[in-house]
Amino acid sequence: MAPPLDLPNLPDADVVALAQKGKEAAFRELIRRYERPVFSLIYRMVRDSTAAEDLAQDAFIKVLNHIDKYRPEFKFSSWLFKIANNIAIDHLRRRQLDTISIDGSPHATTASDIAATSFDIADSSENALDELAARELGSEIEQAIGKLRPEYRNCIMLRHVEGRSYEEIAATLDLPLGTVKTYIHRARHQLRDALEHLRE
Amino acid sequence: MNHRHLLPNEIDLLVDGESGFGVTPLRAHVAECDDCRTRFEALRELTGTIETLPHFTPNIRFSDRVMKQVQVIEPWHVAVTDTVRRVVPSNGPMRVAAGAGVAAVGLLVSSGAVWLAFRADLATWVLNVAVDSSRRALLAGAGEVAAQALGTDGAAALTSGGPPVLALSAAVLAVVVVGAILGFRRLAAVARTTRV
Repeated sequence: MAPPLDLPNLPDADVVALAQKGKEAAFRELIRRYERPVFSLIYRMVRDSTAAEDLAQDAFIKVLNHIDKYRPEFKFSSWLFKIANNIAIDHLRRRQLDTISIDGSPHATTASDIAATSFDIADSSENALDELAARELGSEIEQAIGKLRPEYRNCIMLRHVEGRSYEEIAATLDLPLGTVKTYIHRARHQLRDALEHLRE
Repeated sequence: MNHRHLLPNEIDLLVDGESGFGVTPLRAHVAECDDCRTRFEALRELTGTIETLPHFTPNIRFSDRVMKQVQVIEPWHVAVTDTVRRVVPSNGPMRVAAGAGVAAVGLLVSSGAVWLAFRADLATWVLNVAVDSSRRALLAGAGEVAAQALGTDGAAALTSGGPPVLALSAAVLAVVVVGAILGFRRLAAVARTTRV
């Protein structure tokens, strides 16, 4: 008889291989490993815990039901984050939440372009936050992150919360490497400006 | 000292902890230039703060909710391999004994098949005997059922009528049964409608 599997200590690739063989424990292990990072990423995108949980659930269901299509040359986590990101972006597009940028198109290069593509909206973010979100996302840094455009926010979260390399982020978000660097650079500087008053 | 202040992307390189030939002069500049050092440290402090942001935890039943909608499919070859693994003993000598047993049974079955193949006439005769006995048993059973349902005379009439009469009787029986089922269904539907 085969010895019991030490799932928590196996690398992702091995756990995925077991899941592809129909081992339910392997599916559960993948959920255990990534439920918090995926939920956090989506929560910071949509800023609504109930919606974030539903979207995270959708992402896992989509990934795990197609586990046979996983290609081992990519990291499992990158694949999962990619699906989660796409689901969150779709949700934001559908709902047109407060996460829509108020700073104009990311491709705008001149002041007039930025002005032309800017949104002049009332800040509905506070209305959209439920009590839990207000508590969890209420710190200055979380609020500043919440005001970033979604693509900047995703990049900065993947870089500094998930510790992904620029190359991994580019692969995860289907963006050119240069674009990822630009987004992270802009996100850092917008955050630094937003939090400048705390340093004084 | 190099008096050109660092460009924003050069500060990014330092914040990202890049190493290499090109980064060394940037580090040297930061060590000497107060302005660039302030910018670098502000950005490093910011990224440090972001890195301390917590992961949020979904509902405790999240995993169960996901698993309810995930189809765990075990491929057939994995199922077969697992079954074989479960059956095969882990103990070395036992495994050899089991292997020998399986080989013996396989040899016996193969030998029997080869022997039968060389005696096709015998196999045909055995097959005919088996088919004949089964047919007779089936007819006897049907005859008993007919005798109980129609009486001895009715059964005798059916038997004497030959295959056409038997087929006609079977068709009539089938129509009656189907009609009864449909009638009961209709009655049940009417009763439900009346209750509502």
